[in-house]
Amino acid sequence: MTPMSPPYRPALRRPVRVAAWSLFCPAGIGEAGLDGGQPGKVPAFKARAWVKDRKSLKLMGRSVQLGVAAVRAALDGVAGWDDVAPSRRGIFVGASPQLGDPDDLSYALKAASPTGTFDLQKFAEDGIDLIHPLWLVRGLSNNVVGFASAFHDLQGVNSNYCDGRLSGWNALTEGYAAVAEGRADIVVAGGADAFVGADELLGVPCGEAAAFVVFQPADADASGIELGACPDLSGVEGALGYLGAAAAPVAWVRQFADGAAQDI
Amino acid sequence: MTIPSDDVVVVTGMGAVTAAGLGVEALHAALVSDRFCGTPWQGALPVPVVGSCPEPVAEHPDFPDDRKAWLAFAAADEAWRSAGLPPSVASCAVFLGTGLSSVTPEELETDLYPHLGADGRFDRAAMGRDLAAHHGAPRRHMPARVTAALRKKVAAVGPSGTSFSACAAAAQAIGEGLLALRRGEADVALVGGHDSMIHPLGMLSFVVLGALSPTRCRPFDSSRDGFMIGEGAGMLVLERASSARARGATILAELAGVGSSVDAWNATAPHPEGAGAELSMRRALRSAGLAPEAVDYVNCHGTGTPLGDRAESLAVTRLFGERAVPVSTIKGAVGHTIAAAGAVEAVASVLALQHGFLPGCVGHGAVDSELPVDVVASRRSLAPAVALSNSFGFGGQNCTLAFRRTSAT
Repeated sequence: MTPMSPPYRPALRRPVRVAAWSLFCPAGIGEAGLDGGQPGKVPAFKARAWVKDRKSLKLMGRSVQLGVAAVRAALDGVAGWDDVAPSRRGIFVGASPQLGDPDDLSYALKAASPTGTFDLQKFAEDGIDLIHPLWLVRGLSNNVVGFASAFHDLQGVNSNYCDGRLSGWNALTEGYAAVAEGRADIVVAGGADAFVGADELLGVPCGEAAAFVVFQPADADASGIELGACPDLSGVEGALGYLGAAAAPVAWVRQFADGAAQDI
Repeated sequence: MTIPSDDVVVVTGMGAVTAAGLGVEALHAALVSDRFCGTPWQGALPVPVVGSCPEPVAEHPDFPDDRKAWLAFAAADEAWRSAGLPPSVASCAVFLGTGLSSVTPEELETDLYPHLGADGRFDRAAMGRDLAAHHGAPRRHMPARVTAALRKKVAAVGPSGTSFSACAAAAQAIGEGLLALRRGEADVALVGGHDSMIHPLGMLSFVVLGALSPTRCRPFDSSRDGFMIGEGAGMLVLERASSARARGATILAELAGVGSSVDAWNATAPHPEGAGAELSMRRALRSAGLAPEAVDYVNCHGTGTPLGDRAESLAVTRLFGERAVPVSTIKGAVGHTIAAAGAVEAVASVLALQHGFLPGCVGHGAVDSELPVDVVASRRSLAPAVALSNSFGFGGQNCTLAFRRTSAT
């Protein structure tokens, strides 16, 4: 899987700064996630600590929980972010397709196999009533956008990308461009994914992560930051495992926090 | 590269696969005749009609079980051919919108069912081992594969992306192509969307959600009760007007602007007053440098759901005030093509500008007194100069495209 988008966004108008960042990765949460780590889960991540609305939480898969938490953590790092009008608050997310939780289908599948043989006709006839009505919703790839925008009243420009490991990078570049081009005054951009348990399926060690940054216009006398090229993902994934749509934001945040990305 | 602001972005090629048939002309013929393109669904699910392409669609050897990919390639071939471009254009951007539609009954039966334990839980480890050993999964479900294949086909090295914004995905993708051309990141953009959920698992999602009409889709009708599931692909070739004219290309319309917003309200229900829809349309007009007074027609998202049509009509009314701007949707004719909807409806909007007509709202019969909009019930002879095309998705993502007739059309 090679990067598909050339990492350039020329002809932008105003300087952009990173007002805050969040990082949830197998090395830890926040500052703790900046160094080291090994493939696996985000340690000590408790979704309920980040998402108070239990009803919404039930509709979120693990990667969505991580993403929604990371959006909140990033915004929490910006004092007065909610002074920006909701229509000027953007959100750009990289996320993999959510195939839904197979357990949501288990009762319907059992109903479809009274004799031990799967029967699609019976699945359709007897199984439908046993499937959660919001099964489709739980499987939407854009759930981080949907939930995070509702929680933080982010009504502005937006998109959700499914470009494999480049998903989060496309979210960062387009979020950055939205601020630089004056289409938003604050943008939260990044990616989230959860592949823990899929090591055998993917043939590589896997992890879970979410990382977001908050872009804002820089002060008039500041030069702002440049995103630069998409970071080399082999380093971060070599350490933390396959991170899917979160790989580039995790790598970029770790690089940015080192100060490397601030040089222009 | 600095692009002069008067070097607008234009549409020079289009392709479509819909329930009307293969090709843009099939869609055009259906729209001008107000033809209902649905066909009875013969499966076990309580789905009366579907909007499936009635003609065979060429299979793609690299995507043996992915019908939505076949739709994309067919539409892209038509769009590229109609644009008259050489087979390879390095400075091409590719942006597609797509959806999650690849889980087939066969996968359910062969991949999931064998691993369902007596306790009603799945043995995920065994499922993973089995998939890894016997299938190409999860690559099979990677949405960006089609984007990558189209990039390779035209040898594009420009920016690209795969939008996965539910029913707003294709419109978002088209908008990103517009932005890439305005920034000078590419000289040509192949943009659009594709989806097919006409299989038991795909339709099951909407059945359990109660989103499908038990009879037929009746957009903006007082008895509307849901949509007809469709499938399709729409593709556009975009260029800056200067380069299109320089190579003598036929300009079909101008893509004048894009606007997006999020409802920030609810995962499945639209904002009750259509606040996000209104913001999306206003943004598209601002992006196009147009006032609401310039708009002659709105190709609505108009799924035929009670809440959705109401919210959109309220948004339209607030945007245009006293002026009754004609609105319609093609979903009553060809169905809701889900992630492809924004692209298929963009093609319909350009056809309206090109040929001087407003598509009828097939299925609409009884006016809903609570929806204060001018619904185009059947094809209307009116040559719009500016058309908006709305696409709204689950999760609250909204996107509006603004198209303008050009002197060359």
